[in-house]
Amino acid sequence: MIEQIGAWRRRRVLTGMAAGTAVLAAPALLRAAPSGKPVKVGGTLSLTGFLAQTAGIHRIAAEIMVEEINSRNGFLGRPVEYVLLDDQSKPEMARSLYEKLITVDKVDLIQGPYATAPILAAMGVAQRYGKVMIQSSMGIPKLQTYDRAFPATPFGPEPDKTYPNVILDAMASIPTPPKTIVVLTSKFPSAQFMAKGMQKEAEARGVKVMLYLEYESGNHDFGAIAARVKEANPDFLWVGSLGLESNLLLEALRKLDYAPKNHFHLYPAPGPLALSPDGDRALCSTFLEPDEPFMSRPGMKRYAAEFKERATKANLPYTTIDAQACGMISEWQMLEAAVNGAVSLDDAKIATWLKTHKVDTVLGHLRFDGPYNHGDASQMIKQVQHKEWKVVWPKEFAAPGVKLIAS
Amino acid sequence: MAMKVARDLPRLVAALAVGAFALLPTAGLPAFYDSFLYLVLFWVSLATSWALLSGFAGYFSLGHAAFFGVGLYTTAVMATKFDVPFLLTLPAAAILPALLAVVIGAIVFRLRRLRGELFALLTLAVTFVIATIVLNTPIDGGGGIFMSAVPLPSLMPTPTGTFYLLAFVICVTTLAIAWKVSHSRLGMGLFAIHDDEDVAEAKGVPTFRYKLAAFALSAGIAGIVGGVHAMFVGFITVAGTFELTVPLYVVLMSVLGGSRSWFGPAVGAVVITTLLNSFNSGDQAMLGRAFVGFILIVAILWLPDGVVPAVRKWLKRRPTGAARAGAAVAPVVASTKPAGDRTLLEVRGATKRFGGLLALAGVDLDVREGEIVGLVGPNGSGKTTLINVISGHYPLSGGSIALDGRQISALPAHDIARRGVARTYQIPRPFMNMTALENVIAAATFGGPSRSPAEIREESLHWMAFTGLSGKEDMLPAGLNLHERKFLELARALATKPKLLLLDEVLSGLNPTEIDNAIRLVRAIRAQGATIVFVEHLMRAVVELSDRVAVLNEGKLFALGAPHEVMRDPGVVSIYLGKAYAA
Amino acid sequence: MPSATLLGQALISGVLAGGMYGLLAMGLSLSWGLLRLVNLSHFALAFLAAYIVYELGTTWHVAPWWSAALVVPAMFGIGAAQHWLFDRFRVNELASLLITFSVAVILEAGIQLYWTADFRRYETPYSTLSIKAGPFFIPVLELALCLVAGTLAWGTWLWLRRTFVGKALRASAEDADIAAAYGVNHKQLAYLLSGIGAAYAGIAGTFIALIATLAPAEIWTWLGVVFAVVIIGRLGNPLGALLAGMLIGASQSVAMAIFSPAWAPVVSFSILIVVLLWDPEWL
Repeated sequence: MIEQIGAWRRRRVLTGMAAGTAVLAAPALLRAAPSGKPVKVGGTLSLTGFLAQTAGIHRIAAEIMVEEINSRNGFLGRPVEYVLLDDQSKPEMARSLYEKLITVDKVDLIQGPYATAPILAAMGVAQRYGKVMIQSSMGIPKLQTYDRAFPATPFGPEPDKTYPNVILDAMASIPTPPKTIVVLTSKFPSAQFMAKGMQKEAEARGVKVMLYLEYESGNHDFGAIAARVKEANPDFLWVGSLGLESNLLLEALRKLDYAPKNHFHLYPAPGPLALSPDGDRALCSTFLEPDEPFMSRPGMKRYAAEFKERATKANLPYTTIDAQACGMISEWQMLEAAVNGAVSLDDAKIATWLKTHKVDTVLGHLRFDGPYNHGDASQMIKQVQHKEWKVVWPKEFAAPGVKLIAS
Repeated sequence: MAMKVARDLPRLVAALAVGAFALLPTAGLPAFYDSFLYLVLFWVSLATSWALLSGFAGYFSLGHAAFFGVGLYTTAVMATKFDVPFLLTLPAAAILPALLAVVIGAIVFRLRRLRGELFALLTLAVTFVIATIVLNTPIDGGGGIFMSAVPLPSLMPTPTGTFYLLAFVICVTTLAIAWKVSHSRLGMGLFAIHDDEDVAEAKGVPTFRYKLAAFALSAGIAGIVGGVHAMFVGFITVAGTFELTVPLYVVLMSVLGGSRSWFGPAVGAVVITTLLNSFNSGDQAMLGRAFVGFILIVAILWLPDGVVPAVRKWLKRRPTGAARAGAAVAPVVASTKPAGDRTLLEVRGATKRFGGLLALAGVDLDVREGEIVGLVGPNGSGKTTLINVISGHYPLSGGSIALDGRQISALPAHDIARRGVARTYQIPRPFMNMTALENVIAAATFGGPSRSPAEIREESLHWMAFTGLSGKEDMLPAGLNLHERKFLELARALATKPKLLLLDEVLSGLNPTEIDNAIRLVRAIRAQGATIVFVEHLMRAVVELSDRVAVLNEGKLFALGAPHEVMRDPGVVSIYLGKAYAA
Repeated sequence: MPSATLLGQALISGVLAGGMYGLLAMGLSLSWGLLRLVNLSHFALAFLAAYIVYELGTTWHVAPWWSAALVVPAMFGIGAAQHWLFDRFRVNELASLLITFSVAVILEAGIQLYWTADFRRYETPYSTLSIKAGPFFIPVLELALCLVAGTLAWGTWLWLRRTFVGKALRASAEDADIAAAYGVNHKQLAYLLSGIGAAYAGIAGTFIALIATLAPAEIWTWLGVVFAVVIIGRLGNPLGALLAGMLIGASQSVAMAIFSPAWAPVVSFSILIVVLLWDPEWL
């Protein structure tokens, strides 16, 4: 009962909101405001629980996109209504809620949740109902076994082989390329997956792996690990970290009066690491940063401004748009392009269209005709320079005047 | 015929209802309801299985995630790495955790000290260890296990319906097990263990085996629930499996529903799961969670003992005259065997050492059938220790004890109790959560010869009447005064029809009228031909009641003989510093 | 085999890091042991304190010790207020679990509403300071934590052992009725004790703000280890809790130095299991 009232109220508010935005935007765009029965797009995010740190970012990005789509033509002339549920960071909840979205709320389309476990739980449901599912945060592409699941982030089909080589190429370009490496990783599936690839590729290219260490995900105490890193004193430290693990590790190293030479971090919380006194020159994976050449991509300037405004209003600590938020934007750009391209809300047609077309999103030209529906890999490297993240590799994506700084 | 129909009708209706619920997925409801109900049934099974050991027997486990997780990974590994069909993995998912529980229990339950918080700690530590092993070995290795390639049998029109059906079957079975256990000898024993394990053992409850059985059942159910859940979740990780949420939630659910009731954890699980699922729309997530917290606080403040006990209490407020009327005292024919020459108890060189302290230094004592032996001596002379070693509460450090010519000194206490040795405690130790009658019935069930439940009940009522406790049957021990509790101790001991009755200071703490009462009672017991060894400080009672008196001093038998002779012995008098008759 | 320097450094880091487990366990141990209340909201209170210290530090540039001077008494008040609830409704040990869990859930939701779920990090100059002693480095913040925790634990222990009030409290834990017969005002003492327990959460929170990660869900990540620490250190014994925390911290850290760090929990908790089975008297 409460559910129904809630759903009803939400629908009215959102439709009202969408209509309002459309009215304001209409004169400028000289288009008819979307009208008719709204197209419902459902999805869950981990708004509460241990994965909730990034949900705020995703939510804002999604809301920006829904409003933008409605300010244009909606989906096939109908307004888009975003039905967002909270999966509490639990895969079994994600599974159950996608079933709710599809069988009770009867959404027309779905968007994927965040993080590998909920995505895979939701993917099973999507598969059973033949729904197209676009997701932006699954770091192990080979697990995406459903042929209507599409990535909105250009990991490429085998990032554990391709990305380590991007990193090693970057390292080979510095004046004294590293001869030794320590690979340290959180035992989190996607981080460990990449760390194993890093170990293998480094060895293949003749960089000596002095230590390969795995620590429990969510570890608090980095004292002993830092002591081992210091003792190994590698030319390059590669950390498969999540959240604030990198901050804690770097602080632990500093306490031992040790600063790692070149250090790379896989999936850290970008804000805190950039602001950390120990974060200077830290390297990190990314797909985009709010600089040129990315800012010239269509809509990007507006998304960045809009994101900053909404993030500030939502009291988020770090209000600069990042690759995470752009992953979500990319999801909606793909969906919009596919619906318009297929001229249909039918999942089979949308899936066929996506497989046979390229989509221009903020994350570049994406294609989905490779293994696991992945296309070209475009994972880049960014570096903290003056407390800001700057893309430094590959060189053609580096911001004007910015270079990879080796230590 | 009509009676039979009337009796079977509720069962038939219940069976039909269960059947109808099982077929719910075919009703055409949106699949979401199947998956929501799956989650409810999942938690009902987990919480109920936890309560089998932790609620019933009071062994508070924080390790339920370990058994759940072992079951989950058993299914995952067998199905993905060895291509075993999913349904065939489920028996293994139940058996493996059950075996694990048996191994852990076989070690832990032998250690009397590992109760309460230490048991909770141990189970928590076991969870950490197992989780780390799974994480760092090829079982998982850190990458998680993806189940998408494992085929799910189509037991129902939809896959979610299949999960619902599996969870439903497990849940109904779990509840049936919980019901059966709580209404069986095993359950009675577990409840006794919950209240006072040492007493339970002394009354004949095979505590070790019972705890092991409950632990294995509890772990086995958790394991099979995990096995199904592996498929439901689809992608399993160590962090998502062995998390503290499982033990925490099952505890909270059991507390809310009432963990000593077979049905309580289920009620708690339904309430909490439903609440946690009520607020999942994006706009309400935060406030919804806070609201759930608020409801739970109000609920538990209002019903501090849990929902089910509160409802029971409310139902009980209505008079139950019918039960009383049936409780007429049935006469039990007293056996009037005269005191014979046959030796019933034979203690030879009994020695008991506590660290450096020698509590018993080689005591020899024979007790003849039908005899009453008074055991006296100053404080610390070893009287209660002697009772404790005879009843098997402490193992002997040396020497031997035989009952009816059979060695009993190596037997566990419950075996000794079953061979006909009953004891009372100086400070009464009733099972605090059982009514007075249940206390007596429990003792009669485990300690006495095997009889039908109806016989046991009748005899228990008889012994309650015999000890003057008629009308107090339904009271909890907390409502009885000291005198009544002492007599409850006696009733519990008598209801086992003991060959040998060990009484530890039955009279201490009683006022003179109550003492007279008690002495009359012991005489009446004696008149029925029981053999009694009793510890007593009150010399008047010792002299009046005993055939022979044994005097202990510093762990040794100092004197033995007819009461008046022994009491005149100058040595005995000097031990008591002339206070012999002062009491 | 790792070098002696590495082992020594791991031991130092581990003992000092274990101080945090101990500090978190101290307040929990007091209320569980002496009031028979299992306070799951202790962690949430510590994080609430941490967030307040963070907020004061980042928005108003208040030094952490001044923030602590404000937060700790406030926590004392919250603890006492919480006890009013327990006292008024005569809450038992099991019910206290459910109530304090709910309080923690409400606090978690409140924290997330105000500070969002995003990671927060309070950068201070102290967080990376360390003292060099021979080949070893001693982190200053953790050292300060251990000194503060040690002083508090020692003081509380002495107070419970030596003074009439403390003895009375321990007597009440054994048997409230008998203690009352000796004129012990158990109720007032219980309020005091609940306040002290929560004040400890405030102190722990101050250090959490300086040392650890702030995110609402982090509230629950300490639960398992700290519970173990509380029991190992014996209920109602703050000094035991602190030492147990250091023991667990040290064993984990040394294990991390020798084996793969991910195996560390097996090492420390296997030791614990063996000790438990071998001689529970030791606890």
